[in-house]
Amino acid sequence: MERREALRLMGAASVFSVLSSELFAATLRAQIAAGNGGGFRTLSPAQNEIVVAMCDVMIPATETPGAKAAKVNEFIDLILTDWATEGERKIFLAGLSESDRRSNELFGHGFAAASAKEQTAIVQVFDEELATTRNEKTPKQIRSWELTLELPFFAQMRRLTLVGYYTSSIGQEQELKVEIIPGSLHGCVSAEPEVKQ
Amino acid sequence: MRSVKKPETYDAIIIGSGMTGGWAAKELTEKGLKILVLEAGRPIEPDRDYVEHVPITEMKFRGMNNRQETLKDQPIQRTCYACDEWASKFFVKDAEHPYTTDPDKPFAWIRGRQVGGKSIMWARQSYRWSDLDFEANAREGIGADWPIRYADIEPWYNYVEGFAGITGQAEGLPQLPDGRFLPPMEMNCAEIAVKEAMARQFGRERVMTIGRAAILTQTHNGRAACHYCGPCHRGCITRSYFSSVNSTLPAAEKTGRLTLRPYSVVHSLIFDPQTRRASGVKVIDGQTHTAMEFQGRIIFLCASALESTRILLNSATPEFSTGLANSSGELGKNLMDHIMGGGADGIIPGSLDRVQTGKRPNGIYVPRFRNVTGKEKNFLRGYAYQGQAERESWERGIHESGFGVSFKNSLRKPGRWKMTFHGFGECLPNPANFVEIDKERRDAWGVPALKIHCQWRDNEKALLHDMMIQAAELLAAAGAVEIVPYKQNNPPGLTIHEMGTARMGADPKKSVLNAHNQAHDVKNLFLTDGACMASSSCVNPSLTYMALTARACDYAVSQMKKGEL
Repeated sequence: MERREALRLMGAASVFSVLSSELFAATLRAQIAAGNGGGFRTLSPAQNEIVVAMCDVMIPATETPGAKAAKVNEFIDLILTDWATEGERKIFLAGLSESDRRSNELFGHGFAAASAKEQTAIVQVFDEELATTRNEKTPKQIRSWELTLELPFFAQMRRLTLVGYYTSSIGQEQELKVEIIPGSLHGCVSAEPEVKQ
Repeated sequence: MRSVKKPETYDAIIIGSGMTGGWAAKELTEKGLKILVLEAGRPIEPDRDYVEHVPITEMKFRGMNNRQETLKDQPIQRTCYACDEWASKFFVKDAEHPYTTDPDKPFAWIRGRQVGGKSIMWARQSYRWSDLDFEANAREGIGADWPIRYADIEPWYNYVEGFAGITGQAEGLPQLPDGRFLPPMEMNCAEIAVKEAMARQFGRERVMTIGRAAILTQTHNGRAACHYCGPCHRGCITRSYFSSVNSTLPAAEKTGRLTLRPYSVVHSLIFDPQTRRASGVKVIDGQTHTAMEFQGRIIFLCASALESTRILLNSATPEFSTGLANSSGELGKNLMDHIMGGGADGIIPGSLDRVQTGKRPNGIYVPRFRNVTGKEKNFLRGYAYQGQAERESWERGIHESGFGVSFKNSLRKPGRWKMTFHGFGECLPNPANFVEIDKERRDAWGVPALKIHCQWRDNEKALLHDMMIQAAELLAAAGAVEIVPYKQNNPPGLTIHEMGTARMGADPKKSVLNAHNQAHDVKNLFLTDGACMASSSCVNPSLTYMALTARACDYAVSQMKKGEL
């Protein structure tokens, strides 16, 4: 369907029955400006393997795909390259080295080569270390322009993994089942999907 | 080519195409005038420019914004919540639009230069002011008395609401007059719980109501009802919220009497000392930088508070050496903005088996309760809360411990209900908060820039503190847990409710504009944006700008018909 036709329909009253996925896709194609570029610009192949493995330990595949399938590593490379400061990037890359160092010390091989159980043990320690450094029970409201990665390595990894996963197509469509156009508002209804349209 | 031929002549020239310019265009064309709207920025075509349905999956930085680029190009604009990865294109590039401040007194001047102006990204909250506001200056001997009262503007509130479509709930409160509302949006589970708890504890003194917003909850004047996608500030292809692009400009276009000229940067107005009229407008083409002139019988300044005042300051003549229409010396003075960001949030226990469906582009509202019937010792006037409850999203996982299968499964479900009250306080008019022309700086089109002198004073600071304390008290009354009071350190300007600098008043010696937004000194010149405000109320001002604009247009045309203009 032509976009103009789609928009004409969307502009009419009570159009939401006609908002088929085909129509929706057509309007989106016209709205979308640019997608992500491919190729790694900050992570080396070895560093990328660590990122892929660690993200997938944090958000594994269940009945829905996990962080690896959602290509969270590509998002992290983008953020490290085009978003982060030099200092933030250094913290992150040093954290990857530290992951390898710990894995070598404990298990005799690097993090990416470790078994799932070994990787989980290392992530567990990072997670507990981070928990002890958190000093506030309720996080301060961070406004978008105040967002920073001036954080310990595992706090960076946690934020980027979660953002990368839940804002991916897999995260939005399969895991969270986000509706772009709900079509109606109900303030307080049963969590069962009976009122979903 | 344009600069050599005889200037084009119109019945009226409107400077600005946003909230008030759109209304002036609609009213004046519908009353039969042939008008020219000069817009400094680019044209907006909804099909091409609106981005409200682009999913986060398609954004390069997935909603984390283009940090490096905005730090470079929009270091001021990026501090506005609405200047996000989708909508940053609706905000100016700061380097092209310089202004200066005193070093220790920042002012966040948030601007949108395009057809529609900031009416594209505004937060759509629409409330009537009351005589508690219009009488405040006179009652306390502060600033200049408003030359109008609620009775003068009430019919015009009715009129603009009728066209724009305002959703809301009538409450019968004297400090926040009811309008002619479209059906209210629903509160969610936690908001209902807080509202009921407040009613038990505070009765009619502190009331929580659903936000009153310029968003359609049913089909209205040919525009479709809201489809609850959420981010209105990125545009609305169904035209379900009010903006000039979505409603007033199409109405003006329909008359066949509208000429809309984008890329028209107004440099100054031309004053004819013989006729004592503003005879024309000096324009610099935004793309070619060519200078040109347009002539009109009447001129409406609707360029936003500080832009309109800047144009008048840049239009000085030998007679008006400190700025056109400034015989009072009040032009540029008494800059105000609402002080924002004292508040609290907290968790409302329970209702974990219930959800809200649909993204409601509107919150709740707690009308002013300070200095309404009682009298506070520490401050004059008051504040109102906006806010909302929502269930925590997957983002809570960023600040929690845990990982793996159970962590992922828990983040799939919404978290607890979190309620926020965020205060907006009245700012007193103070002549020491003022703007002037900075002779050292010009913008990208060679127009002299503003120097802004503005800071919060003791009364605003006291309001900010009280709004934090009382927000926590409201949450406590509602049985909230993990209550976190907060007090943000926001510079003036960031609330984007900048008002004053060309105030209305009955006395030409003490005000720039009369009771009909007409310049005391220059009869064919009207100014109807935020610059005209004599006080700031704590209530969001846009609906009042709309009503004042429609009222001024009615007056101007009646004066033209009588031969007075």
